[in-house]
Amino acid sequence: MCSSKKDKEQSLLLQGRPGKKSCRNSRRTFLKGALAAGGAALLTGCGAMPGSSEEFALGWSEYFKKNYRLMTEEEKQETATRLERLADLKRKENVQISTKEAVGNVLYGYAFNISRCEGYMDCVDACIKENNLDRKEATQYVRIFEMEHGQMNVESGNGKYFHEVPVEDKFYMGAQCFHCEDPPCVKACPTKATWKEEDGIVVVDYDWCIGCRYCLAACPYWGRRFNWNEPEVPSEELTKKQHYLGNRRRNKGEMEKCTFCIQRSREGKLTACTEACPTGSRVFGNLLDPNSEIRYVLKKKKVFRLKEELGTDPKFWYFMD
Amino acid sequence: MNRYHVLPTILLVTMLVTAKPSAASESKLGAAIAGATEPVSGQLVDAVIPLPENTVLAREKHPSGSFWVKTRKDQIERFRCSRCHSGKANQPQVNDGLKLAHGGINLSHGQQKLPCTTCHHKEQRDFLALEGGDKIDFDHAYQLCGQCHFRQKEDWIGGAHGKRDNYWDGDRVIWSCTECHNPHSPRFETRWPKTYSKTLNK
Ligand code: HEC
Ligand code: HEC
Ligand code: HEC
Ligand code: HEC
Repeated sequence: MCSSKKDKEQSLLLQGRPGKKSCRNSRRTFLKGALAAGGAALLTGCGAMPGSSEEFALGWSEYFKKNYRLMTEEEKQETATRLERLADLKRKENVQISTKEAVGNVLYGYAFNISRCEGYMDCVDACIKENNLDRKEATQYVRIFEMEHGQMNVESGNGKYFHEVPVEDKFYMGAQCFHCEDPPCVKACPTKATWKEEDGIVVVDYDWCIGCRYCLAACPYWGRRFNWNEPEVPSEELTKKQHYLGNRRRNKGEMEKCTFCIQRSREGKLTACTEACPTGSRVFGNLLDPNSEIRYVLKKKKVFRLKEELGTDPKFWYFMD
Repeated sequence: MNRYHVLPTILLVTMLVTAKPSAASESKLGAAIAGATEPVSGQLVDAVIPLPENTVLAREKHPSGSFWVKTRKDQIERFRCSRCHSGKANQPQVNDGLKLAHGGINLSHGQQKLPCTTCHHKEQRDFLALEGGDKIDFDHAYQLCGQCHFRQKEDWIGGAHGKRDNYWDGDRVIWSCTECHNPHSPRFETRWPKTYSKTLNK
């Protein structure tokens, strides 16, 4: 029988997801327990008691669902509906979880103007709110660093300045996931829980992530964030318009990252950081449209990317006037 | 010399030292971008993208066709100016009138003080004016600014200076120059950052 690469990939995915950390037991012991003691073990085996039998049933279906990429259109819709219902049951949160797919002829790209950014960090703040980032650990996807002239290494930039900005003779540089065309993080993932979408966005299926953090180690651009603890976002501050691959609630032990605000970009909107920027230093758009702003920047400005020699082909350019 | 003049030169020098010249066209991505030469017309995503209120069709051309700018007249508190500036003399005759009426205006635009009428129409105060005297609507102030700042205006039309409003897809709506720059003192003000950024490996 011929087994294509795709088949292999599928069989790997279908083996089921390895143990989730949010439930202390590995999946195997979890299942054994379930067989031995019946439903009761399920109820007590995984932390808190579900509040109702509906919640239990939903949780059950959620636990055994497939990797998002293997789901049919219908299955995607079903899991989104279950998650919406669970959010309501568990926290009285009325969220809408989109499963909107990439459309053809779109490849997202980003450019950052280092001669225009003033270091206000409105972007950092907007991202936290839009993407429901953990308030307790102060998780951030987007960062701004104050840089000395002649310095090009964001690793040594200062992000904790406590003075009015901009400062003469300094410049400001943002960093976030660069959504590489050839992303090393994706190759590193043992469970295929992270991949690049057709429109170029690198995403994570949080429910399939086992928290091994190989992707984090593989990323040369510090683009990934790990939830060491249960992330905390107060219900009243939660952004309710969500995407399955975007800003829906994550759990302890799961990896997350910038998704070019997939819940926004796929609706035709700019990312939250781009919209929040009062200086216009952030340019987001379609690389396949020769008339887009991003294409104008690539054509007319002096652009560069970080660590180009690695060949990861980031879709994030820095430019200056 | 201020930071805006020093910056590009220094950066360019460092860039040439630290980074290879853009290898864009050698890579797969570069090829994909270079290959996409057909203009994309119309809206791509399936979503309702409303044209925001308070926009006007720009009096400029973009390769993709028409685009819109956010209006300004509705943002200017003293508009209409002709409430006071009307009649033959066109000047309200009051002692210290300028200070009383427009005392908040502190001209600091470039080195020399530009006279008010470099930009404001001499007779019809409800309008701005080009050097030749042509009337310019406040909603199209970019035509005025572009007279002296043509490089910035070109980038603004192309999309490297200024800002698109809200959506990357659908009709193109961008911010007018005076949405960001106070024409009387156009430099951005220093202020406290909104928050801080953690170190990269955190
Ligand atoms: C409340 C009445 C009032 C309104 C409304 C008003 N102005 Fe004036 N403006 C004055 C007065 C009074 C002076 C001082 C005239 C003088 O001393 O000769 C003045 C002076 C000026 C001058 C300086 C003229 C010069 O040659 O020195 C300019 C320019 C001007 N106004 C522009 C405007 C514009 C533009 C608007 C609308 C956005 C406006 N004004 C609205 C009352 C007003
Ligand atoms: C560089 C061009 C320029 C110069 C010089 C200039 N203005 Fe203006 N002014 C503008 C533009 C453009 C606007 C519209 C601003 C907006 O869109 O909000 C404006 C708005 C105004 C307004 C209404 C908004 C407000 O701040 O109250 C007044 C009044 C005004 N100008 C008065 C003056 C006076 C008086 C002077 C001279 C002391 C002057 N301007 C010099 C370009 C100029
Ligand atoms: C009559 C010519 C003229 C017009 C019209 C004009 N400017 Fe300027 N502008 C100048 C000059 C001259 C400078 C100083 C340039 C320099 O120092 O390099 C300047 C500087 C600036 C700066 C840099 C900040 C600074 O203070 O050096 C900004 C921003 C700016 N202008 C924005 C605008 C905007 C927005 C408009 C339209 C409302 C406008 N300008 C209209 C002549 C003009
Ligand atoms: C989204 C906000 C935004 C818009 C819209 C905008 N600018 Fe700017 N502009 C900036 C920022 C930020 C700077 C950085 C300099 C500063 O600190 O003032 C700048 C700088 C400038 C400068 C100083 C020289 C330079 O290139 O740094 C000029 C001149 C200027 N702008 C003109 C314009 C003109 C003309 C327009 C409209 C055609 C315009 N700007 C629209 C944000 C904007």
